[in-house]
Amino acid sequence: MGLLHRHRQLTPYLLLAPGLLWLGVFFVVPLGFLAYQSLQSGNFDIGYSFSWAWGNYWNAVRDYRPQFVRSLEYAGIATVLALVVSYPVAYWIAFRGGRWKNLLLLFIVAPFFVTYLIRTLAWETILSDNGFVVHTLQHLHVLGPGGRLLATSTAVVTGITYNFLPFMALPLYVSLEQIDHRLLEAAQDLYASKWKAFVRVTLPLSLPGVVAGTLLTFIPAAGDFINAQLLGSPENHMIGNVIQSKFLELTDYPAAASMSFILMAAILVAVAVYARAVGTEQLTGTAV
Amino acid sequence: MTDVLTRRQLFERAAAGGAVLTVPGLLAACGGSSKKAASSTSSHQLAKTLRFSNWTLYMDRNNKNHTYPSLIEFEKKYGVHVRYTTDINDNASFFGKIQGPLSRGQSVDRDIVVLTDNDRYLALMIKKGWAEKLDKSAIPNIKNLIPVQQHPSFDPNREYSLPWQSGMTGIAYNDKLTDPILSIDDLLTNPKLKGKITCLNSMGDALTIVMLANGDDPTKVTDKSFNAAFNKIKQAVDSKQIRQFTGNDYAPLLAKGDLVAAMSWSGDIAQLGNKHLHWNVPKDGGAIWTDNMLIPKGGNVYTACVYMNYVYDPKVQGLMEAGDPKRNITGIYYIPPVAGAGEWAKKYDPSVANNPLIFPPKETLSKVKIFDSNALNNQKYLTAWQNLISA
Amino acid sequence: MSAVAATTQPRGEILSSILAFVRHHVLTLYSLLFFAYLLLPIAIVVAFSFNHPTGNFNYVWQGFTWDNWRYWDGVPGIRSAVFLSLEIALLASLVATALGTMIALALVRYGFRGRAATNIMIFLPLSTPEIVLGASLLTLFLNLNVVFGFWTILIAHIMFCISFAVVTVKARLVGFDRHLEEAAMDLGANEWVTFRKVTLPLIAPAILAALLLCFAISIDDFVVTYFNAGSETTFPLFVWGAARVGAPPQVNVIGTAIFVIAVSGMLVNVLIQMRRTRAATS
Repeated sequence: MGLLHRHRQLTPYLLLAPGLLWLGVFFVVPLGFLAYQSLQSGNFDIGYSFSWAWGNYWNAVRDYRPQFVRSLEYAGIATVLALVVSYPVAYWIAFRGGRWKNLLLLFIVAPFFVTYLIRTLAWETILSDNGFVVHTLQHLHVLGPGGRLLATSTAVVTGITYNFLPFMALPLYVSLEQIDHRLLEAAQDLYASKWKAFVRVTLPLSLPGVVAGTLLTFIPAAGDFINAQLLGSPENHMIGNVIQSKFLELTDYPAAASMSFILMAAILVAVAVYARAVGTEQLTGTAV
Repeated sequence: MTDVLTRRQLFERAAAGGAVLTVPGLLAACGGSSKKAASSTSSHQLAKTLRFSNWTLYMDRNNKNHTYPSLIEFEKKYGVHVRYTTDINDNASFFGKIQGPLSRGQSVDRDIVVLTDNDRYLALMIKKGWAEKLDKSAIPNIKNLIPVQQHPSFDPNREYSLPWQSGMTGIAYNDKLTDPILSIDDLLTNPKLKGKITCLNSMGDALTIVMLANGDDPTKVTDKSFNAAFNKIKQAVDSKQIRQFTGNDYAPLLAKGDLVAAMSWSGDIAQLGNKHLHWNVPKDGGAIWTDNMLIPKGGNVYTACVYMNYVYDPKVQGLMEAGDPKRNITGIYYIPPVAGAGEWAKKYDPSVANNPLIFPPKETLSKVKIFDSNALNNQKYLTAWQNLISA
Repeated sequence: MSAVAATTQPRGEILSSILAFVRHHVLTLYSLLFFAYLLLPIAIVVAFSFNHPTGNFNYVWQGFTWDNWRYWDGVPGIRSAVFLSLEIALLASLVATALGTMIALALVRYGFRGRAATNIMIFLPLSTPEIVLGASLLTLFLNLNVVFGFWTILIAHIMFCISFAVVTVKARLVGFDRHLEEAAMDLGANEWVTFRKVTLPLIAPAILAALLLCFAISIDDFVVTYFNAGSETTFPLFVWGAARVGAPPQVNVIGTAIFVIAVSGMLVNVLIQMRRTRAATS
C-alpha cells in the first residue's frame, strides 16, 4: 500500500518531466544564453567575448529608439483595431449564432490555415498601387492621385491587424459565450435599454476575453517583422526587423540579443500599465 | 558507458577546437546527424549532387515549364543532379547566412555560391580562407576567360574564383508611367516620382552612380565625396522620394507597376521581358561589377569545377546568355565573361548578340566605373550606410 | 416609432420597415462584412493559384489554367520544401502532443507541489514574441556549435507546440466526468487499464485536436524556423525567398491545398458536432 501511495505521488512528476525538461532546455536555457550573449563585446572579425557589456543596452536604446516606439505603437493600434472590429462579431456569434456557432467560428480561424507569409503576400496584392482598393480610395479622394498604401504605415498596421485578428476574436467569443443568458434577460428587465444592459452587464462579464485577446494580439504583434518587411518601407521598420537583420545578416549578436531583451521588457511594461488600467485580477485570471 | 565517454570526448574536442572533429556539438551527442565540413581531397570523382546557390533571375529559363535548360543539359551530360537555389538577394544577408557555419568549420551545404566584387564579402571569403582552391585541371575552358577578368585585385591569379556574369548598375523606368528617366538627379528629385522609386541596398552600386552624378570619382572615394553622395541619398529618403532599399526584389514591384523607376541592374530588366520597361546607363555614368563563383569550404571542388568548365564552354555560355526564343527560353542577358560566347549567342538570338547592354561596345564601357575597394571596407562608411538603409 | 410608421404613406412604411430591418439586423450585416474582409485575402490566394501569368509574375489576373495544379512541383525547390515541412510538422505534432497530453493529465488529475510554477512555464512560451523564441534558440545552438538544419528546426517546433498541446487537451480534461474512471477503478481496473480503456477514448478528440493544431502551427511557422534552419528550406522559407522575385502560382497552389485540407478536416468535425447536438436536443 505504501508503495502504491508513493507511486501515486510520483506519477504527476513522471508525467510532467519530459515536457517540462524540453521546455527547460529549449526555452529557459536559451533565454540564459541570450542574456549571456547580450553582455558580450567584440565584433564579428575578432569574435565576441563576455564582458558585462551593459553598454549594448544603452546603444540599442540610443540608436533604435524609433523602431522600439514604432513597434509598440503599431502593435497597440492593431490591437485596438482588432478589438473594435471583432467584438461585435464575437457577440453576434455567441448570442445569435445558434447551432451555426461552430461553423462561424471555423470562418474566424480560417485565415490561420493559409500560410502566414502567403496571406501577407495576398495583402500586398490587394493594397498594390494599381489595385482596386487604391483606385477606389483615390476616387473617394481619401488618397491623393499619386497616393499609395503599400510601403506605408497604414499597410503595415492593416497587415498586422488582419494576421492576428483570430487571436482577438476567439477569446472574446469564449468569454461572451459563457455568459448566462438569463442574466442578460434580467439585466434587460432591470435597465430597460438594451444598450445600458450591454454596458452594465455584458461588457464587464466579457472583460476576461478582452484582456486575453488584447495580450494574445499585442505580444506577437510587437515582435513581428514580416508585415513591415513585405508591406512597409524602411520608415516603417519595427524592432523585429532590426533584430532579425542584426542576427542573421550583420551577425552583430550582442546588439541583437540586447534588443531582444529590451523588446521583452518593453512588452512587460506595456502589459503592466495595461494591467493597472483593467485591474490585475483580470490579468491573472486569464494567465493560467 | 563507453558511449558516454566518447560523447564527452566529442564535447571536449569541440570546446578545444580540435582539428579532427571540428563539428560535433549537442546534436551529435543527442544522436542527431552532424554534417562535417569534409576536408576536401582533390578526388576526381563527381558527386551525386551539385549544390548551387545563385541570385534570382540569373539563369537561362524555359518559360513554359519553369526549368533551367542549361542545368538540365548539364545533368544529362554528367549524371550529376543540380540542386539550384536562388537564395541570394544581396551579398550582405547571404554572407550573414553562411558565415556562421563557415567560421565554425561547418559545411554550408553548397558547392558553388556567387558573390559580387563591389561588395566586401567576396574578398573577405578568400581572405578568411573560407573558399576552396579551384582545381584548374578540371577547368581547361578557363582559357576562354576574357583578359580584363584575369587578374582582379581580390584574387590576382584566379585561384579561388571565376566570374559568373558582369553587369551594370543604372536606371530602369516604366514608359507607361513616366517620361524617360535618364539621370540620377531626375530619379532622386523629380517630384512626379515621389514614393515611386527604389534605391539599391548595396553601397557600392548606389554610391558609384550617385558620385558620378555629383561629378566625383567613385574609384577613389574621399570623405568629402562619400558625404556628398550619402547626403544626396539621405535627402531623397527624408523627402520620401525613395520608397525602399532593395536587392533583386525591386523587380516584381517594377513589373506590376508599383514602382515607376528604380536603381537597377542591367540584365534584370531584359529578363523581365516587359516591353514598357527600359534600362539605361545614367547620363553621368553607371557602375560595373562582376559576380564571381566561389566554392565555400567543404564544397565538392571537383564537381564544382566540372560545372565551371561546362559554363565556360562558349557554346553553352552562348545559350545561357541569349536563351532561345524558338523554344521559349529566356537568357541571362547580363555580360558574359567567356570569350566567343557572342558568336554562339548570335545563333540563338541575334537581337541579344547586338544588344549593347549584353555585349557592351567601348563607349558604354568607358561610361561605367568600379567602386573603390578600400571604401568597401571602411567601417565608418559601412555603419553609416547600414543605418541609412535599415532605418 | 411604430406610431410614426403607421401614420405615413405605404411608401414610407416600406422605407421604415427596411430601416427597421437594417436596424434589427445591423449586427448580422456587419458580421457578414467582417467575414468578407476575413476571407478576401484567402479568395485572392485561391484565385491566383489558377492564374496563367505570361511573365514571371503572379500579380495580375491573366487567364485561367489548371497547369499550376497539375505541375504543382514545377518550380525548382518547391517539392523538397513541401516535403520537409510535412515531415517536420508530422514529427513535431506527434512529439509535442504526447508531451503536452502528459502535462495536461498531471495538471488536471493530480495535486502536486509546483503546480503554479508549471502553469507559468506553460504560459510563458505562449506569451513570448516569436522572434525572441527564435533568437534565443539560435544563440543556444550557436554557442554549443550545433549544426543548423533538420534537427534544430524539429527541436524548435516541438518547443513552441508543447504549450498549445497542453492548453488544448487541458480544456477538454477539465470539463469531463471523473465518475466513469472511478467506476472503472471500483470494478478493479488498475490505473493504467483505466487510463487506456476509459480516459484515453474520452480525451481522444482533444488529443486529435491538439495534433491538428500543432501540425497547423508547425507547417505555418516562419520566424522561429528562419532563425534556426541553417541551409534547409521549409515551405514558408521557400515562400519568403520566392517573394523577393514574385512568388510563382505554385506557391498559391500549395497554400490553397494546405488550407482546403485543414478546413475540410475541421468542417467534418463541426458537422459531426452539429448533428450530435441536434440529435441530443430533438
